[in-house]
Parts: sequence; structure tokens; C-alpha cells
Amino acid sequence: MLQFTSVTKRYGALTALDDVSLTVARGEFFGLLGPNGAGKSTLMSLVAGLRAPDSGRVTLDGVALSPANVAARTSLGVVPQQIALYEELSAEQNLRIFGELYGLRGSLLRDRIEEALVAVQLADRRRHQVKTFSGGMMRRLNLVTALLHRPKLLLCDEPTVGIDPQSRNAIFDFLEQLNREGLTIIYSTHYMEEATRLCSRIGVIDHGKILALGSLDELLTHLPFDEEIHFPATPATATLASELTRCGELTLADERHRFRPSADFKLSEFYRLTEAQALPARLFTTERPTLEAVFLHLTGRKLRE
Amino acid sequence: MRMLLTLLRKDIANFTRNRTALTLTFVVPIALIFIFGQVFGLNRKDTGPIGIRLAVVNESSNPAAEKLVAALQTETAFRLVTDEDKNGQGKRPLTEADARRLIHDRDLRFAVIIPADVIPENGFGLRLKILSDSRNQIESQMVTGLLQRTIFTSVPELLGQSLQTRAKQFLGEGRFDRFNTTLAEAVANTYGGDKAEIQRRIASGDFGLSALASPTRDSASPTSANKNSAASALSNLVKIETEQVVGKNVRSPEATRVIGGQAIMFLLFAISGSSAAFFDEKNAGLFQRLLSAPLTRGQLLWSRFLFGVLLGLVQLTSLFVAGSLMYGVDIFGHLGPLIVVCCAAAAACASFGMLIAAVAPNSQAASGLATFVVMMMSATGGAWFPLTLMPEFMQLIGKFTIVYWSIEGFLQVLWAGSSLLQVLPIVGILTAISVAVMTISIWLLNRKRIFE
Repeated sequence: MLQFTSVTKRYGALTALDDVSLTVARGEFFGLLGPNGAGKSTLMSLVAGLRAPDSGRVTLDGVALSPANVAARTSLGVVPQQIALYEELSAEQNLRIFGELYGLRGSLLRDRIEEALVAVQLADRRRHQVKTFSGGMMRRLNLVTALLHRPKLLLCDEPTVGIDPQSRNAIFDFLEQLNREGLTIIYSTHYMEEATRLCSRIGVIDHGKILALGSLDELLTHLPFDEEIHFPATPATATLASELTRCGELTLADERHRFRPSADFKLSEFYRLTEAQALPARLFTTERPTLEAVFLHLTGRKLRE
Repeated sequence: MRMLLTLLRKDIANFTRNRTALTLTFVVPIALIFIFGQVFGLNRKDTGPIGIRLAVVNESSNPAAEKLVAALQTETAFRLVTDEDKNGQGKRPLTEADARRLIHDRDLRFAVIIPADVIPENGFGLRLKILSDSRNQIESQMVTGLLQRTIFTSVPELLGQSLQTRAKQFLGEGRFDRFNTTLAEAVANTYGGDKAEIQRRIASGDFGLSALASPTRDSASPTSANKNSAASALSNLVKIETEQVVGKNVRSPEATRVIGGQAIMFLLFAISGSSAAFFDEKNAGLFQRLLSAPLTRGQLLWSRFLFGVLLGLVQLTSLFVAGSLMYGVDIFGHLGPLIVVCCAAAAACASFGMLIAAVAPNSQAASGLATFVVMMMSATGGAWFPLTLMPEFMQLIGKFTIVYWSIEGFLQVLWAGSSLLQVLPIVGILTAISVAVMTISIWLLNRKRIFE
């Protein structure tokens, strides 16, 4: 459906996107994960037709997307990072304006506005000025504004910035429902929890390059380990910790050790060491590594650094 | 104390890094002081108006009339127009009808007519006529005052001639010559001097009366009371007929004169506010959202321009209606041309708002820059005081402002009562300004990548 072919975009000396090739299939919930300044917003703006690539090609169903191709934008819905609404106007007025910009008129527009307001639970606030809304309500309206014209592809550029967990979950539920109904979504975020929960496929991006691409399971195969072993940092576990440094990567955070075994590490060796120290099994937990670990492994730095 | 100093340092750092605050604090007042200084003639040899085009129609063959023209020519306030080359047929002296036409056509606003009988055959004294278009009260008063001063300085010689003419009529040529000879002899014998020269001066009407008139300008001298009386006596002998050629039927002249300037100034301020809002919209991500819809950048920019025009029209309408209701400015008698000029002025102001948005880096800077430019344009464009009070280079600058041409348009309609056809040249200029400024603005806005 959406295809990036060797796309490069520069701002002066800065290369925001560097030879990016990428395909997003119809019905996918595609996540774009990377820290601030990684190139996520540039990639989104190329899809939205706000910018043109310096080289390469961005196409949607074979049609080139660019600032010049105005008609192609009817297939897109864009949820910007900021709350891009007219705050002096009511929710209904905002929806009407953006609906009309996409060519909706008359009863069709009225019906879509009604559906949108009901979907994000703002029907009873339809005539209230947006500036009187809470952050979560504004975010919901910001999202639904991009859906009035029933786009084929929804671009969400960090749509949950600065809202409470309850509103975030409501947005997640809504997006998941839309995706189940067949809407293709590209979701840009620097929150790995969001990408993990929502996305069927994730592209890890940094310094304008796609470093890894795939489902969460596929991304985790980039790591040299499958599971992590966590245990408390106490005097009783000090000897074990010392021994384990020879068998993999051991880090300490919040008074807990986190052990990532090396590829040739055998579990029997771990049991032998714990038995030797007479450590009870209840001290130990195993955890599946996260996207954070993938990012750290790929870039050598944390996602939010 | 340390806390206080820290806070003070914070305020100073904030202030010095805020270009808008710096501009409004230092640049705007200094620029305005400069303009006011020019207007009030500070550090200038000649205060008062400069270079006002003045038509002089000399219908008299009397040599003294030539001297009056020469005296007017020496005034820096005036740039005399004495002839014209109509239809390329060669220059010919102006007639009174020409002067009236030129005033009607806005080519100039003042004319002095020296009639053929400037010195009447059957009477003693002088007769002059001043034609005017007093669309600007301050300028009008100053010009009339200057004209009267120049005339009264030259008048004594003309009066002497008037006296000679009457004496010749009364005595007959032979007795008149003998009278002049005897008088010259008496003066030469009493005060000394060349008898022939004295007789020539008496024959030309030079009785030294000018000594009575010229010192009246120095009212601080000890004998000023007597001299003022003399000037007053002269003024009784000089009949200056003044005629307001344009705007004499205006219902509320004072309000009509100022309403255009005020309206355009406030409109520019309102439009400036909307150009600052341009940045707010951009910063809120609304441009990104709007442009991700199927619309072009051009449509977005032109919609803002149209909003500016609409805002301008509504504001101008409300100001003129208020002027009509409160001060009796006649707008309903000129509705058609007024609406057209309002549209052109609103378009020019809207394009100015777009230019501010294109040039300024952010909302704050846009507000500061707009305040500065609006005040400069209002000062040099004639919204606050007549352009003719400024040096010529500033008058020239003023003619490149939206304020100048908008005021011209409003006065042309409300003061001169011009028809739609007559105001078309001004409307054309305002439209040309709009097109030029919008072209530059759109080019700059695209270069600035404001939409990305």
C-alpha cells in the first residue's frame, strides 16, 4: 500500500532521512519507534505530502505522494503531534471545517460529525469551545478530526503526548478498533510501551535510518539473548552476581540485578551457582526483553537519551 | 539583596534578548522623534511647509505683479507652477480656469490669481484671489498665512504704484510730472541723495512703505504695536478674495479631513494582529493539518488575504458609519466610490499583513515590526500631519505608503466628491501595491518554508 523507495531528505547539512526503503501493507498497524530527532516526523510529513523527498519516491497504491499531488491527500488522515484545533471554536465547528476541507457536505457531513463525536464520547460537549476541554478530550477530538473523510491510511504522529493514562487507553482502544475494521495506521512514537501494545509491525528509526523492521518477536531476534533473569541486589546474592558477570551482561538498577546471558550460557550452570549459594528460587524472575533492549542493542543508547 | 539582583539580572537578560521589546523601546521612539523633528523643523533653517505646488496666474501686465511672483518664488514653501504644456503644444501661461482645473484634478491644492486689474483704475489698493483645496486644515492655514505674508511684503510697492496711477489720473500727465520732480527735489535737498534716482523711485511707486510692513513679523520689537497697526492698515487696502474650489460643500469638514487617516491607521493595526495570529496557527500545527487536506499552499495564503480584506472592509465600514452618526461625515452620498476605495485600501492593508508575516520570524516579532511600520507609515503617509511639513525626501517616502494613497482615496471621495471614474487611478495604485506586496509575500513565505 505505502512504499518508500530509497528516500533521502536533507535540511541543509542535516540528513533527516537517509536512503529509507519501507513498505506498509494494507490493514497493518505500523509503528515507527525512535527517539526525538530520529526522523519520524520527517517521514510522516513526506507521507502527508507536506514535504518532497530530495531523492527517492513515496507512493500510496502506486501514486506518488508529494506537495504537488493535492488529490492524493484525500486518502490520508493526519493526526499531528500538536493539538491542531481551533480552540475558540466548538468541537462541532472544528469537525465541520475539516470535514468540508475534505469535500464532505450536507447530510453526509452531519452524519459523520455525529458518528465522530459519539465515537470519542464528546457528543454532549459538541457546542463547547475546545479551549474548555481537558487535554484528553482535545486529543480525542484531534484524532477523530482526521477520520471524518474515511481515509485509507491514518498517520498518527505521537498522538498521546501529555495526556493521562485513562485518556491514552481510550485512544488506544479506539485506534485498535479502527485497525480491526481495516484501517491502515502508521503510528509514530518514542514510547516503546505504545509500540509494543499497538503495532503489528515496528520500524526502529534513528539518525534518519531504519535500523530494524518487523514484528516485536522478529525484532527481539536481533538480541543475543531471549530472556532476562532478575534478582535482588543483597549481600546474599553478591557472590552469585560476581560469578554471573563471566557468563553474560549484568546491570544494576533500583537495587535489582538484571542478567542477560551470553549465547553459550547454559541454564544448568545457573542452577549450579544458585545451589552453591543456597539461594531460594523465589528470588528469581525471568522476563522477556523489551523494545528498549532492542533499541539499546541496535544504537548503543537508550530510547529517551 | 542577592535574590533581588538575581531577579534583576534575569529581567535584563530577558529584555535584551527580546528583539521586539528592544525595537519598541528604542527604535520606534527614536524613529518617531526623528519624524516629529522633521515636521516641526528642529535643526532646519526653514520651518513650515516645503515644496507645496502653487499655481500662480498672472493676468496683469504691471511690472510690480512680476515682483510679487518673484517674491513667491523665493519662498521655499512653494514650488511655483506658472505655465503648462497641455497636449504637447508647448508651454503657455496658466489661466484661472487652468488653475481651477488643476485643483480639481488634485495636481495642486493652492493657486494665486493676480488679476489684470490688480491695481484698480478707479480706486486705491490691490485685489488678489487665492484658490484652494483645503483638504488638510493645518496645511491650508499655514499656506494661507505664508501667502498673505509674502503678499504683504510685496504690497507696499504695488500700493505706491496704485497711488501714482490715481495721482496721474487726478492731476493730468504734465502736472503729475512736475509734482514728482518737485517732490524728488525736496527729498534730495532735505535728506540728500541723487535727485534723478529719487524721482525714478517715486515714479515707480516706491515710497519706502515696505518699511511699514516687513517688521510686523517681529512682534517682539519695542515698536511692534505701531508696526502692527501699519500692517493692519495695509491689510485694509489689500483685498484678498479666497475661494475654496474643492470641498466647500462638505457637511462636516473637520471630521471628513481626519477620518480617512484614522481609519487606515486602525485598520493596519487590526491587520497586523491577524498577521501575528498567522504564527499562532502555524505553531499550533494547524498549517500541517490544513495542508494535509487536499488544498494548496496558495489557497491557504489567499484565504488569509481574503480574510484580511474582509476584516478591513468590516472595520472601515464600522468606522465610517460611526463617523457619519457621531460627526455627520457624509458617506451615504458617496457610497459607490467609497466602497471601491475601501476595498482597495483593505486589500492593500491585507497584503501588508501578509508581508509582515512573511518577514517576521515569529508572532512576537510580527507584532513589534507591525507596530513600528504602521507608525512610520502613518507618520510619513500623512495620517498625523500634512506631508508638506516634512523635508522633500520624506514626502517622497510618504508617497510609497499605503497610508498616503488610502487617505488620498478617502479624501478624493469624501472631500472632493469624486466619481468612481475619478478615483480609479488611486484605486489602481492601491491595487498595484496589493498585487506587488502579495507577490513578494508569497515568494518570501514559500522561501521561508513556513508550511513545512
